[in-house]
Amino acid sequence: MGNVELTGEFVAFFVFAVMIISGSVFMISLTKVVHMVLSLLAAFIGVAGLFILLEAEFLAFVQVLIYAGAVAILMIFGIMMTKHQEEEKATTKRAWQEGLAAVGALALFGLLFFAIRSSELAPAQSFEAGEDNALEIGKLLFTNYVIPFELVSVLLTVAFIGSIVLAKKEAE
Amino acid sequence: MGGMLDDTLTWGNAFVFLLWGVVLLVLVLGFVTYAIYFERKIIGWMQLRIGPNRVGPLGLLQTVADILKLLIKEDTIPRKADRVLFMLAPALAYVPAFGVLAVIPYTQDLYFADINVGLLYYVALSGITTIAIVLGGWASNNKYALLGGMRSAAQMISYEVPLVISVVGVIMMSGTMNLRGIAEQQGDWFWQWNFLPQIIGFVVFVIAAVSELNRTPFDLPEAESELVAGYHVEYSGFRFAFFMLTEYVYMYAIAALTTVLFLGGWHAPLAFLDFVPGIVWFLLKFALVVFFLIWLRGTMPRIRVDQLMGLGWKVLLPLAILNVFVTAVYLELFVK
Repeated sequence: MGNVELTGEFVAFFVFAVMIISGSVFMISLTKVVHMVLSLLAAFIGVAGLFILLEAEFLAFVQVLIYAGAVAILMIFGIMMTKHQEEEKATTKRAWQEGLAAVGALALFGLLFFAIRSSELAPAQSFEAGEDNALEIGKLLFTNYVIPFELVSVLLTVAFIGSIVLAKKEAE
Repeated sequence: MGGMLDDTLTWGNAFVFLLWGVVLLVLVLGFVTYAIYFERKIIGWMQLRIGPNRVGPLGLLQTVADILKLLIKEDTIPRKADRVLFMLAPALAYVPAFGVLAVIPYTQDLYFADINVGLLYYVALSGITTIAIVLGGWASNNKYALLGGMRSAAQMISYEVPLVISVVGVIMMSGTMNLRGIAEQQGDWFWQWNFLPQIIGFVVFVIAAVSELNRTPFDLPEAESELVAGYHVEYSGFRFAFFMLTEYVYMYAIAALTTVLFLGGWHAPLAFLDFVPGIVWFLLKFALVVFFLIWLRGTMPRIRVDQLMGLGWKVLLPLAILNVFVTAVYLELFVK
């Protein structure tokens, strides 16, 4: 592993990776909802950073745009729907549960590690990012992938109408 | 400046970029200082008062004195507040506000970043400030602050939608999201600027932008007569100054963005006037937008919360979508 060249890209990757991993770990381990949501935000911004390293600026900023809004809403729901006067009591833990979880996590790590090490990656081809990748994504969405794209929009409309119907019922 | 962006990054280049960043920061701080002064003066004149006139000649040093006062004030943190988040929130609010300024092109050659999704970058980063405001309201552990923060989030998220959709028309006309490209494509006569062909988009954009700025008539998050001061009620000293600064830096950013998107950027309004350097035209248009925002504050009363949501979702959003539709039909029938 000593053949990694210390470039700016590598340092940036490392910073973003640490951000994503620590964000996700804190998301699970913290106890207050607002803190959890904030560490989730750190993870999302890290992912956006990785997109920028991959020269996918469009994806990166859409990631920030969508998730920053989502995080703010999540935060509001978190504040409204949880009690934050009292700290949550630590639930009684059972030793065998923790043991099983540890074994499961180790097994998953082993599996992923084995799969990554044993897979033959295709020789790196010179990747040509489009001049304007927002334009290229748009073209692909409306030519090759137009049916999945339309299906997703139908799904969103259904979800939208469904939530309105549910909210109406609640109001009555 | 522009050519250096394409070079490989060396320590020397990085140092020059850092220097330019500091220059921009100083300019922005200067803008904020005198924007506050002029806001107070202009509103004073509109209300038949004199406005600040004690500190320095014509009261020019009033804001400097105010900033000094804020900086040397005791920094209080409420005992039951969430200390870390309370301290984090002002910084988290300010960093994106300054970050969005990077994509604004001032003239043909004077720009700080040339991102092909510049417009998206602006909208995406400004969303992070919303989180900081909710965070500040929550961490203060004060019901008025929390209410202010909640209102702010509801308002900023519901007005972000028409704001983004209202500029889609401009993007369709110029075929790029690069702010430099958008400004470049507007012509040297004022009827070639985007605000006339995109008049619906322009009106929706201005209304939604004022709302994003939390300024009158949309200043519900800090409605002082109902919420004391809204989300920053517990803040004092330089942390409060940071929230204030964020607000005025966004005013700078929105004024510059309006100029670039709709008012032709650095182009002269009449083609025979183009011997005047572009930066002068940019600054004039920029000052006009800033004055408009101040004027609005001196004129409009605050609207109610229920009216706010109704306006956003039932009026601005359909209008913005209609604008996109009309633009698409026009481009399809007459341009292609």
